[in-house]
Amino acid sequence: MWLRDALLTFCRWCNGSFFGHGIRDSVWLFPFVEIFHLIGLGILGGTILMLNLRLLRLAFRTEETARLARDVQPWMLSSLAVMLISGFLLFSTEAVKMYGNWAFRTKMSFLLLAIIFTFTIHRKVVAADESRVKAGWRVSVALISLLLWSGVGLGGRAIGYVTTSASSVTGALLP
Amino acid sequence: MWFENFLQWLANTPFSMWMRGSVWAEPIVESIHVLTLTLFLGFAILLDMRLLGVCLVRKRVSEVLAQFNPWLFGGFAIMVVTGILLFCGDPVSFYHTEPPFFKAKMIMLVLAGINVLIFNVSIGRKVADWDAATSTPPAAKVAAVCSLVLWILIVAAGRAIAYALPPP
Repeated sequence: MWLRDALLTFCRWCNGSFFGHGIRDSVWLFPFVEIFHLIGLGILGGTILMLNLRLLRLAFRTEETARLARDVQPWMLSSLAVMLISGFLLFSTEAVKMYGNWAFRTKMSFLLLAIIFTFTIHRKVVAADESRVKAGWRVSVALISLLLWSGVGLGGRAIGYVTTSASSVTGALLP
Repeated sequence: MWFENFLQWLANTPFSMWMRGSVWAEPIVESIHVLTLTLFLGFAILLDMRLLGVCLVRKRVSEVLAQFNPWLFGGFAIMVVTGILLFCGDPVSFYHTEPPFFKAKMIMLVLAGINVLIFNVSIGRKVADWDAATSTPPAAKVAAVCSLVLWILIVAAGRAIAYALPPP
């Protein structure tokens, strides 16, 4: 299948790239990049949690949701950027292995859905005039957002526990 | 030494043996511990950024504190409980990680607690006086920087513990 071939080619390129090589060969670079990934997790998760707690009326009730969203938006976007860049660097050190890791695949699927949801429906509901958003819709959107992002987080944590032998994948790469 | 004996005793409790033997216990507790970073670390960083005057600036500091505090306490409680459970799973190895990342983390946790205490009895007590000002007082900024540095180092040390533990 063309998609499978394209993804594997991309993973192989990442593995061989200077950053994939460099981080893999260094004792300290991988943990160093990981710290950025964890701090990014705190800020990104914290801002998303804030907005969803607001939508659920569990916190920050004195503030309009749209104003709160405008306040935390720069922090959310910049921490998402940190997450994506540090995540890509970590991935590049063992990209081919990740290709066959079901936890990684699950995480990427959730990530794609979570990003699409956050920048379309979630964004619209958060920015909307609160009196015009039905309670059921507001709560559902918050819960879906929490579910999707939890999937990303849990999938991410699971990657380390899922042991995939690289050889089973690389076998498929050899001519 | 009594503390070593205590660690040994803890390691031989049925709970500790169950944590080590179970396939799912450690990953589940560990996942909760890491994902609670969103609640605890995330909110702590946003609060510190407010104290530095770079985030949520339209809101009064006292209001941000009042809104964040219950969540910070809840998040911290989850962190401590899951952290203790993880420690119970292999107390001897945790305590003796080399380099001493575990001991460093515990010392920095105490320092972070002292930082909160100092804030609460000094500049934080008079928060109503500087609440609405556009710029926060230097003492509040110092407390925020100390908090940020300590929590980031605590996360780093926590991650490092897992590297320093013997493989399962």
